[in-house]
Amino acid sequence: MIRNPLAWCAWAIAGLAAAFIDRSPFLQALLLLVLINVWLSYRGRRGSTYWKVGAVLAVIPILFSAALSRFGHHLLVKLPPIPIIGGAWTWEAVAYGASTGVALLLTVAVFGLLPSTIRSADLLSLLPQPLYRAGTAVALSLAFVPKTAASFQAIREARRLRGHRTGWHSAPGLLVPLLLTTLEQAIQYGESLDARGYGSGHRSRYHPLRWSGLDAAAIAASLAALILTLVLPSGPYNPYVDLAPTMPTAVSLIAVMLLATPAVTALLPRTDHAHHHA
Amino acid sequence: MPIITLDDLGYRYPEADAPALEGITARVDPGEVILLRGPSGSGKSTLLRCLNGLVPHSTGGQFSGRVTVCGLDTRTHLTRELGTRIGFVFQHPDAQFVLEDVEAELAFGLENLGLARPLMRKRIEEVIDQVGIHPLRRRRIATLSGGERQRVAIAAALVMHPQALALDEPTSQLDPQAAEDVLQVVLRLVAELGMTTMIAEHRVERIAPFVDRIWTLESRTMRDQAPRAAVADGGARPPVVDLAIRAGWVPIPLGLRDARIHAPRLPAATQNLPPIDGRGEVICRLEGLSFRYDGARAVEGVSMTLRRGQVTALMGRNGSGKTTLLKLIAGLQRPQRGHLHGEVTAAYVPQDADALLFAATVEDELRGLPPESVAPFRDWRHRYPRDLSSGERQQLAIAVVAARADLLLLDEPTRGLDPTVKQALTSFLRTRAETGASMLIATHDVEWAARTADRVLLMADGEIYADGPPRSVLGDSLVFSTQINKLLGGQWLLPEEVPV
Repeated sequence: MIRNPLAWCAWAIAGLAAAFIDRSPFLQALLLLVLINVWLSYRGRRGSTYWKVGAVLAVIPILFSAALSRFGHHLLVKLPPIPIIGGAWTWEAVAYGASTGVALLLTVAVFGLLPSTIRSADLLSLLPQPLYRAGTAVALSLAFVPKTAASFQAIREARRLRGHRTGWHSAPGLLVPLLLTTLEQAIQYGESLDARGYGSGHRSRYHPLRWSGLDAAAIAASLAALILTLVLPSGPYNPYVDLAPTMPTAVSLIAVMLLATPAVTALLPRTDHAHHHA
Repeated sequence: MPIITLDDLGYRYPEADAPALEGITARVDPGEVILLRGPSGSGKSTLLRCLNGLVPHSTGGQFSGRVTVCGLDTRTHLTRELGTRIGFVFQHPDAQFVLEDVEAELAFGLENLGLARPLMRKRIEEVIDQVGIHPLRRRRIATLSGGERQRVAIAAALVMHPQALALDEPTSQLDPQAAEDVLQVVLRLVAELGMTTMIAEHRVERIAPFVDRIWTLESRTMRDQAPRAAVADGGARPPVVDLAIRAGWVPIPLGLRDARIHAPRLPAATQNLPPIDGRGEVICRLEGLSFRYDGARAVEGVSMTLRRGQVTALMGRNGSGKTTLLKLIAGLQRPQRGHLHGEVTAAYVPQDADALLFAATVEDELRGLPPESVAPFRDWRHRYPRDLSSGERQQLAIAVVAARADLLLLDEPTRGLDPTVKQALTSFLRTRAETGASMLIATHDVEWAARTADRVLLMADGEIYADGPPRSVLGDSLVFSTQINKLLGGQWLLPEEVPV
């Protein structure tokens, strides 16, 4: 198993680069398979919400691109002259939107994996002193996400109990109490930080960074994948030029396959070596 | 030399009409335990926040007088400096954690002080033993119960090696067992470490025997008294004190242990039980109601009737299915098996009543409600609802939702309420019952349930396993019994019932 936060940061950067730089449908499909494998190795079947959110995000660019772009020769459907969305919808526009949509889905999958593989304490301990305050803010923001979701649900339920509408029309009514609740929580967090000496001066680190050969292998594989993706990218896929994608190069395929290293290492035993920072 | 001094302390929140605190002068010597009590909104939290400088450094407002903690003037020293002198435990366990797991959370404060790792390790190991959280050290905070979180919060404050500890109603959000666990930790720190402790707490019956003095906050000012004098004066006090005053016991016992000396002189309890009042019209009937979350049983085969004019308390440990049962009856969850009969207006007030309040003023929240519902809030009508104390917000939320309902479903309505407000809530519910409403109330508050309900249901593992009048159900319970019942046994539940 990979537990080192540096290894996961390197993996996430390489994964995001692969998701956004190589837009070949073949590479995107391969990357999706790789991410599903890593996900199943570290999160099992938990966290399906991330995939649902990713799927919704993936559909939006497809709809926008199909409805607004009039370029391309392969006709999907021709709508009557309705303002904005009327006219010819093309397969090229759908493919272009899908390429962006899948990239978004892959991004959500990469970020969705990190909360269960990296602890904020480890992430904070990695940061140099000048970035510590910004890092704490990020760690707190991440901790806020599930609490904000719970507050949203509670407010929605409460409005229903008081006979208010709960559809899209009621969004402003939901957002104001949600904002207030979030601000109250933020103030309480601030007070808690103050009461525990946050910002007193020089900071030390309690958690030693743990390293194993597998972590080093994961970092090496991620760096290799990143370099291959940046230096030797596959030919760009532009459906408006040619709807049928070209086969990616062997190098591009290897770069994506390297990102499966965490899934492979999950099958191997681990031996830790602690590196003390304090 | 005193560890804390308050010298003519006064404070007014920004834009507030009146000061929250005025002319408070007191001192706390090392090793003393001070209980802060007073009605909701009387300034207990504000006073505690003055000790670590959150007031005024975080809140702003007008601060007058002087507070010193371990010789440091809070006006000229920031909270982060005072944090190493006085540890602070907040009311809401969730509001004080920065990181995801217990050990990292304990280390957070020490890392801020820049301590070397071996010293941090030593302090963390010591505090884990002191607070008894060894089984929790590798856990994620999100997986801890409320009581476990509060114990971790105490440990996180203690690990800084403070000379005093301030606890702001640390048990108000917890069930009785979790509250008991947290108070046990506090009492152990007092006994073993001689920790100077200031605690705002409504469960006076548990803490009163162990305190050196009681500070009573009322109308912005404070009375500093010895415990016996303070409880004899009124305010929040243990039920045995009420009984002792009626029976003329001297000295007044502060806890069960002292009271047991006097108890044998009282007459034996009667065994005559009144029957459950089954005369009211059936307002709601449940037949075999069941619900599971992802296969985990929450409510299983619950059948019962709720009648007009009846106040029913639903009790049971955390996770026994009480909230789910209320949500099923309220229509917020659909039963997976069984049926619910009854066409009535049901109102459900959730545990987190804050979510129900979203208007700009109390007046706006209450707009359109009958005058008798609005009357109790006349003095607050121009205030912003979220600026009210937790007890006041709870009262307002109940009034807002429950005004016109035939069936009131309340989830832990007494959490964080002081005795006066609880009494007002009892009166409100009894009045609604007399006008034909029915109430089903999930609560852990045994004393309040014994005083308010005319029927008690006990729930465990999704099933109701006891149903009857309070004397019958609470009178022979080992866990859900009142302090008077623990003292006298039989079926006495409340001090005023006991013939003296």
